[in-house]
Amino acid sequence: QTNDRNSLRGVSPSNAKLYVPNASNHWTCLNGSKTIPFSAINDDYCDCADGSDEPGHIATDIKSSRVNDGVCDPECCDGSDEFDGRIHCPNVCDEVGVEARKEQERVRRIQEEGSRLRKGYIQHGKTTKLKLQQELEILKAKTDQVKAAAVDAKENLDKITEEYEAFLESSKKDREAEREAQLQPFIQEQIKRLNRAKETKGHLHRTLQDLRENHNKNYHDMAVKEMVSEYDDYVTSLGDSHTVFELLTPTDGSHQSEPGNSADTLLDRLIEDTAIIQREITSLHDILMGLRHEYNTEYNDEAVLEAVKVAVEFDSQWNTERQEFNDELPLDVPEADADKVPESGAIKNESDMAQAEFDRATDEEVKVQNTIKDIERKLNIDFSLDETFAELLDQCFDFKDADKFSNWEGDNYSVQKYTGGSKCWNGPERSVRLEMTCGAKNEILSVTEPEKCEYHFKMQTPAVCPVLPDSESGNDGNGAGNVPQSVAYSEERKDEVKRHDEL
Amino acid sequence: VKREDFKTCAQSGFCTRNRAYAELAKETPQWISPFQLNPSSLRLQGGILTGDLINIEEDKQPSSKSGLAFELHLLDNDSVRVRINERDPIHPRYDGVKDTVLIKPYGMANENSYQKLAKDDSGVLTIQYGNKNQNTIKVNSAPFKIEFLVNGVSTVVLNDEGLLKFERLRKKQEEAAQEKEIVDEDKLVDQGDENKDDEVKIEKSELETKLEANMWEEKFKEYTDSKPRGPESFGMDITFSGIDHVYGIPQHASSLSLKATKGTDAPYNEPYRLYNLDVFEYEVDNPMALYGSIPFMLGHSKNNTAAVFWMNAAETWIDVEKSPEDKTGGILSWIKTKKPVSAPSTKTHWISEAGVLDLFVFLGPTHRDIFRQYTSLVGTTALPQAFSIAYHQCRWNYNTQQDVAEVDAGFDEHDIPYDVLWLDIEHTNGKRYFTWDHAKFPDPMDMQRALGAKGRKMVTIIDPHIKKDNDYYVSKEGAELDVYIKNKDGNSDFDGWCWPGSSQWIDFYNPKARDWWASQFSYDRYVGSTNTLFTWNDMNEPSVFSGPEITIPKDVIHYGNMEHRNVHNLYGTMFHSATAQGLTQRNETNQRPFVLSRAFFAGTQRFGAIWTGDNLATWEHLEVASPMLLTIGLAGIPFSGADVGGFFGNPEPELLTRWYQAGIYYPFFRAHAHLDSKRREPWLFGEPYTTQMREAIRTRYSFLPFWYTLFQESSVDGMPIIRPMFVEFPEDEAVFGMDDQYMVGNALLVKPVSKPGVTRSTVYFAGTEKWFGIKDYSVEQGPGAKEVASPADKIPVYQRAGTIVPKRERPRRSSKAMENDPFTLVIALDSNGEATGRIYLDDGESFDYQTGDYILREFKVADKVLTSRNLKPADAGETSEFVKRAGALRIERLVVLGSTVPLKEVTVDGRAVQVECSQAPTDGSYVCTVKEPKVLIGEDFSIAFA
Repeated sequence: QTNDRNSLRGVSPSNAKLYVPNASNHWTCLNGSKTIPFSAINDDYCDCADGSDEPGHIATDIKSSRVNDGVCDPECCDGSDEFDGRIHCPNVCDEVGVEARKEQERVRRIQEEGSRLRKGYIQHGKTTKLKLQQELEILKAKTDQVKAAAVDAKENLDKITEEYEAFLESSKKDREAEREAQLQPFIQEQIKRLNRAKETKGHLHRTLQDLRENHNKNYHDMAVKEMVSEYDDYVTSLGDSHTVFELLTPTDGSHQSEPGNSADTLLDRLIEDTAIIQREITSLHDILMGLRHEYNTEYNDEAVLEAVKVAVEFDSQWNTERQEFNDELPLDVPEADADKVPESGAIKNESDMAQAEFDRATDEEVKVQNTIKDIERKLNIDFSLDETFAELLDQCFDFKDADKFSNWEGDNYSVQKYTGGSKCWNGPERSVRLEMTCGAKNEILSVTEPEKCEYHFKMQTPAVCPVLPDSESGNDGNGAGNVPQSVAYSEERKDEVKRHDEL
Repeated sequence: VKREDFKTCAQSGFCTRNRAYAELAKETPQWISPFQLNPSSLRLQGGILTGDLINIEEDKQPSSKSGLAFELHLLDNDSVRVRINERDPIHPRYDGVKDTVLIKPYGMANENSYQKLAKDDSGVLTIQYGNKNQNTIKVNSAPFKIEFLVNGVSTVVLNDEGLLKFERLRKKQEEAAQEKEIVDEDKLVDQGDENKDDEVKIEKSELETKLEANMWEEKFKEYTDSKPRGPESFGMDITFSGIDHVYGIPQHASSLSLKATKGTDAPYNEPYRLYNLDVFEYEVDNPMALYGSIPFMLGHSKNNTAAVFWMNAAETWIDVEKSPEDKTGGILSWIKTKKPVSAPSTKTHWISEAGVLDLFVFLGPTHRDIFRQYTSLVGTTALPQAFSIAYHQCRWNYNTQQDVAEVDAGFDEHDIPYDVLWLDIEHTNGKRYFTWDHAKFPDPMDMQRALGAKGRKMVTIIDPHIKKDNDYYVSKEGAELDVYIKNKDGNSDFDGWCWPGSSQWIDFYNPKARDWWASQFSYDRYVGSTNTLFTWNDMNEPSVFSGPEITIPKDVIHYGNMEHRNVHNLYGTMFHSATAQGLTQRNETNQRPFVLSRAFFAGTQRFGAIWTGDNLATWEHLEVASPMLLTIGLAGIPFSGADVGGFFGNPEPELLTRWYQAGIYYPFFRAHAHLDSKRREPWLFGEPYTTQMREAIRTRYSFLPFWYTLFQESSVDGMPIIRPMFVEFPEDEAVFGMDDQYMVGNALLVKPVSKPGVTRSTVYFAGTEKWFGIKDYSVEQGPGAKEVASPADKIPVYQRAGTIVPKRERPRRSSKAMENDPFTLVIALDSNGEATGRIYLDDGESFDYQTGDYILREFKVADKVLTSRNLKPADAGETSEFVKRAGALRIERLVVLGSTVPLKEVTVDGRAVQVECSQAPTDGSYVCTVKEPKVLIGEDFSIAFA
């Protein structure tokens, strides 16, 4: 008996010649692994390692796991995926066809408009790139000149400064000694205040750290969770260079009186350090106050109670409005006596002018360097092969979380990764995966958070639309989504020429 | 874990008192239990022996009415029940556990099946009994002690060490105490004990203080247990004689063979604890209590197998002590039988806080007998819906309807089968169960329909804490019906903290509450539910964030003025059963329920599946999952699993892959992950991991006919589905302590890989027959350990010679989509060329199997002929549409392993069938594949091999 019909199910007409029996009515698997009776084709039993003897079951349009599985798959609108008689899948190809054509038309319009816009982007990208390259060359040529000017200015300044300092040196020691004696009580007082602030800050930090580590996670007290989260965010915001306890060893001021530093400098630094630490105290205080007012009093979590106790005690000695300790007013430091600084007349003027010239020359140099760097950065950004995305550089589409562009994902320039955002409590640094689809406008379509602090954006943009040939307005659009790159490039060149004409 | 959140024995009054009593016994030379049976009171009638049990230190008169009532029941299935209760208590002790745990009145031994032998010189009453008259029960009156012997070999001895202690209910002597307080303010500790005479004012020893610790009130951290009824605990020792491996008493994250908690070099210094608790990030290798409790213990040696079931649902502690040899002389000298002096034995000490002493001893003599005896009392596993033994995809949380659709599409895109998608607490409107967050899930029914079209189901979470909120209909109705657990005053509703904030707990001991709860699951009540939606019961220990040990206080009150302490370990099961009842009742379409629970107790198997709770994404937790599941299985709950991947934390891809490879051999196979963990659907790690995980999951699906057959077997005779090696190889001492490999049914040997970077594993091949690798058909010969390959893409799994395993080998997207697929039989011949196996098939959904709508057949190879034989009783029921349709499915392939010669001719009724053979990779035997024998799964056939 023959089963021609059966054996050809799932075989496209163009491949029919591969499914022909040999003289002895046998057939060889397409990978050559085995020769089997021709009747074993499409007998619902896999003989060949590559499955080529079951073209009706290992279909190309759908996965073999879906053939005769009792589900009408939309991919097979004629119902041909279910042929074992168990269920009947109606032929809905007409309806599907109407819908599909409508959809195709919609997509075609979007793609047409998108294509037009994208060509503009490409043009913009290429023009921009060219401009930047030209600018870069001009700037590079200028580099040596500004460098030389800066060196000259520096030499001049050094020379004059040396003279001026020699002039000052003669009377310096006496003046400084006098000033130091005058400031000494203030320095001592400020050291006391600094140490007190350090100690307090350390105490608050330890309290919050203890809370973070020891609070009872079983209670799921949202206020506590939030405090811990805020504390973590706060610690993270201090950055890697500044560990929490780094600056907290008490000071006697001695390490700050390095040679060359005046008593004024020392006092200024002490005051500044105290202010910094007091600002941190304020932040920690805010976190603790949140806890104090919000925590769930039904639980008796020791770690939480301890933190609340510290908050209450601290609150009595801290002036929230002025962000300082209750009994602490700013020191009334006497001004340095200007009269005692020797007038220097001409040499002072000369020194000031040399300084100004040096500043100007250095600024110029830095400006040129920075502009070069910025241009080089822009030129190094991967705006995709045809520079499409240059259009979108520095444009913001309402998702300006602190994340930094990290890289393109995959090879087709449609997925961007942004990483290194602010750190989440109990989670990673915030990051975004941006998936782009062809659209006639730049627009964020959806934002989801599939897992903690990892966001998934969908966006439509002309930048990923296929570049259509200009003449193809009446085309059926079929395959437009897969324009081979070489074609796209040649079309684009044509487009470029045209635009030039228009200019 | 925060250990300090949970009590140690020393922080528990009754545990301290009973353990101190054991200490006292040990320190006292020639310790003799003060408990005695009054010989003249003993009566044996209708299979029940009754008598008066007195404590000679408390009961001045031997026949005192204040004594204890002793009962011993001879059951018709070779098991024995022993009960001890107060004869005339000041108020009844709680005795209701039996009413919810035992499924039906059991049969008593026939009058002719036992004989009472005359008391011998030493006052021992001997009863000879059993279906084969193989059991001997020796009841010793003074001191009280009962020994059980099977075929003359001692197996279980009650009160062997004389540790029986029974605290009788008493009135608190408040006035006396107050007076005393004035006299001596320092001695507050002693006020409760009525037996203390006034003249005793000497300093107490440490041991004496412990013996009276915390009798009337007990503090733990900031919580006070008011204990209005005072001390009512009891304890007794049970010796497993001649046995040095005991198993059971789940749930603990520990080894299969229980470790000593007492004695020199004991690995643990705390008793095993049974008290259902929500333990955050639990530790492995620890006797601490976890989510479920089953006071069932089985002892096994080469000569000897027996088990006990301590039927008590209050907090229970169990000490285990191994003695390499029995004490000679001393209190054991009363036994005149020749006991081998050197036999190792295991001594256990059971301590419960409240209720009555009520235990069963199962005398076997085989494991199969013991599992049948035990489950005939507490019930076998409900036959699950077929989908529920396939793969479950869970995460806290799938966030939106769109998210669900995308995950579903991800499985299709990667051609990975799955059956169930789960929604955790975030799907609700503010943790109000039975509601939806409509912003995230605008059309739940449409979502379920979309999945259902591909044969897939959904599960939503429903917890027992009800948000206190008058605008929430469940909360409001519960208040109106007055079905919440009460505070210790018995009037006001208990109020605690859980996911939704301030919450109340439904009292499932109130019959009204159970019916009301069950009615919540009907489609019109649970808006948005369909018949493809099933249920997950979590947090039912119960977990109470603001309570002592993260659970509800012991002195809260249930229906009938019953204190929670009596039934704590059963609360979760009462909830589980009411939910299962709700799902069963919700429609008229005759559909089996599916409910997963976290808390469990003996009997839970009748209501659904359980899992091992909130594990961690670590290799240690992967490793401990095997012994935990084996232990839960032999204690009667076969349908259990551990969260694949580990709940807390982020598994590296290798760990996740290894966990899938192990997880496909858990009876309940679900992946789950914490809210803060990274996404880990099987395709997210790229190659080679996606392929490896797909391959693992597909392997599970290919074995589904085998798994379903095992579930049916278990539902009939109580056999565990995954089995410790010793259950299948009871004679091989090398496997008694083994828990890093196990058997699935009697046929598959599984060795999970639970270490990173491993490519070779040592597998112990038990027995004297061959084993066949399920993927490459490599052959190993037992007995002995051998190192075999365990590369990244597979773990060692072998089919045992002599077995036949039914499979379906076509990859599909769900188990439902496999319904019409043909079968493959993998036949592993033993050295005699024989093999047997079975298949059970039914519609996988309804209760129609109970009226005979199923197929049950045995396959057997003997004398080079494979036959298929009907095992269904002729009177089982009408032949239905299902039997006709499924019975007509064909067997498309036979794989014959272990033949010493290649099969040349295979014939079905004289018709030749195509066969191809090749040599197995590791020995000379042949792997033969028979193509399309054209026989049907539901009909008799015989296939001849030559």
